[in-house]
Amino acid sequence: MFESFPDVCRSYGVKADVRSLLLLQKAIDRNLINTVGDLYSFFKGSLVKDPTDIGPYTQAFYDYFVGVDVGAGERLNDAIERADTFKDWLEDFLQGDDERRKLDMDDLINQFLDEIHTTTYDIKRVLDGEDILKEDDPDRPDDDGAGKKGDDANKDRLLDKAADYRFVDLEELRKRMEKVMEQQTRDHEGGSHWIGTGGVSPYGNGGAALGGIRVGGSGGGRMAREVMGDPQYYPVDIDANINDDNIDATLATLKGVIEETNERYLDIPLTVKEGVAQGGLFLPVEMDKTHDKLQVILIIDNGGYSMDYYIKAVQALFKKMKTRYQSDLETYYFHNTIYKYVYEDERRTRKVPIERILSKDPNYRVFIIGDAAMAPYELHEGSIIAWGRISEKFKKTVWLNPVSEKHWHITWTTTMLRKIFKMFTMTPRGIEQAILGMNKKKS
Amino acid sequence: MAETTIWNGSDKYLCDKELSQAFHMARVLGMPLLIEGEPGTGKTELPLQYAQDRDIDLFVYPVGSKSSVEQFVAKFDHVKYLRDSQIEVLNAQRDEKGLDTKLSTGGRSTDQLKDYVMQGPAAKAYSTPHSVLLIDEIDKAPREFPNDLLYALSHRKFVMPESGDVIEVSEQDMPAIVITSNREQELPTAFKGRCIYHYISFPAPEVMRDIVRKHYPKADDDIVQHAIDMFYQLRQLGLERSPSTRELLNWLKYMMTFSKAETIERIKKLDGIGALIKTQDDVRRVQRNLMDDVKRPGGAARY
Repeated sequence: MFESFPDVCRSYGVKADVRSLLLLQKAIDRNLINTVGDLYSFFKGSLVKDPTDIGPYTQAFYDYFVGVDVGAGERLNDAIERADTFKDWLEDFLQGDDERRKLDMDDLINQFLDEIHTTTYDIKRVLDGEDILKEDDPDRPDDDGAGKKGDDANKDRLLDKAADYRFVDLEELRKRMEKVMEQQTRDHEGGSHWIGTGGVSPYGNGGAALGGIRVGGSGGGRMAREVMGDPQYYPVDIDANINDDNIDATLATLKGVIEETNERYLDIPLTVKEGVAQGGLFLPVEMDKTHDKLQVILIIDNGGYSMDYYIKAVQALFKKMKTRYQSDLETYYFHNTIYKYVYEDERRTRKVPIERILSKDPNYRVFIIGDAAMAPYELHEGSIIAWGRISEKFKKTVWLNPVSEKHWHITWTTTMLRKIFKMFTMTPRGIEQAILGMNKKKS
Repeated sequence: MAETTIWNGSDKYLCDKELSQAFHMARVLGMPLLIEGEPGTGKTELPLQYAQDRDIDLFVYPVGSKSSVEQFVAKFDHVKYLRDSQIEVLNAQRDEKGLDTKLSTGGRSTDQLKDYVMQGPAAKAYSTPHSVLLIDEIDKAPREFPNDLLYALSHRKFVMPESGDVIEVSEQDMPAIVITSNREQELPTAFKGRCIYHYISFPAPEVMRDIVRKHYPKADDDIVQHAIDMFYQLRQLGLERSPSTRELLNWLKYMMTFSKAETIERIKKLDGIGALIKTQDDVRRVQRNLMDDVKRPGGAARY
């Protein structure tokens, strides 16, 4: 059932696999799924793992179950308006009803969504329907009825298709329907074989779902309307250089640099001391293992105008980290490359010999931020040695480069520096990888 | 399975349909419900109010930076155990010397290892059928905690340390587990995969009015309307730390100590803004954007 739905989800960037279908089975067994709205809520609860999944998920759901294909950044209303499912429904809905014709498009769409979401979805019956389909012979010739209405009747309502037949493999279904349609020569009502209204079609509107709930009903449709076009529910571009929008996503990955332990250890010297003082009554003294402090050194290339924008972003990022996670943060500056000195201030007036950095605790994590592009003669042996000493001393050193990765191989100096340092892009993804790499290294 | 009827909130707690459905789904499927959302959207309140409304036993585990699964499940108190065993030796010695005074072990016996097992909220919840277990602010935990927790939760069984006692719960009696997170760190994918996920979006102004009404049934409509208008205006400024529901409620509480006309005047002047805005930068931004019009006479006209 819905075998291809996980694939559709993945094509929209929502992680989904066969486990969600197994869970669906369980949910069906426990009577949780009664309407299309329930299905929407169920998959939302089990597939969505982040608010930014909600947008893509909703797109996938509407594409698969309702046949509405929402384009990027498009409002749901617009997508619905041009969907065949909606047009067919509208034709039916408006037929011979003047009152309804007065409604404006917005109301109509609301009505449509409410109907979709409250469509009673009696899965048990659908499952029985699956059996019917198995026993049904698609090649059965139509018992040539009195009237030959022919072609018109073959326009099955797409909405039925959407709600009804998704439980079998889509491809198979399409073939089967074509076959049936070839044979069908007149209008049918009811029954389980012919395409038409009534019968096993679980599509319907009104009436409480059997033995269950329908709270997901109209609420789901409304939610979907809110989701579409709201950037809050779409993933930020984690491949873009860090900026105001994705800085929080980056901050979450930075949490990974914090060393935390929750171990306790037996303080033997103290236990002995206390035990002796108590006349040989030894009570173990347990102590919290001290938390490693987060120690970070930033070395920033602030020469050249090209770096200006990134420097602000990086500083904002690490400043936020500092206030949030109590850390020891030191920042130094250089221009293009380093020889014997770095600078304490942004204007590069106060020199600091690199020996001072090298004398620090090797547990410091070092982030070097720069474009690594300079004239080849600038990166002479002396400079390479200086970089090498930093890399040697601090095992957790990475280079973050705001230049797009595909341009790295063009500059010779970038290539050289990549031999010394692990280089990552200055994007949330890059920083995440940098930190994962740092944590792996047992120094 | 926990208690599985649908819960739509109580007279103190407004639970929207989506949340109530997610919560229901989690209980029926016997999976933990993971709730994320901005601070002050009522994540923690859900299980608290639910337990209170339905009169169900509630166990809370507030997660902190030093949390461990040991604290969550059960822990053997070695210190007490050693102390008591030493006391037994001492008491025997005293006995030998004909002394009457004895040190007490507080009813514990070193023969009974289970006397020294300190049960955490998880073990307690699992031994109480149909209870509610809240794991609050899991994002504050050390990196490994969620994964350790996952292991503990995926088996409906805990083995007590040292004593080897087993606490087991049937699927029928499973506690309803609610986990909250403020998204300060990403939780492992595997962990999220085992939970039903729900993200509480920030309530729309109309919903906010209902929420305020639940808390202050007697509040004047006009005052509430003014305060909510101002509140959403503040949230639109893109502050570093946008004010949350909780802060709005506190602000209103303070505001309601004045007469109606005065209160509305005060709301317009953003009196007691400290209840809403918590950083210096934000206060400055608010002053730049909103207060100009209000505080300085003719301020708005200058532009």
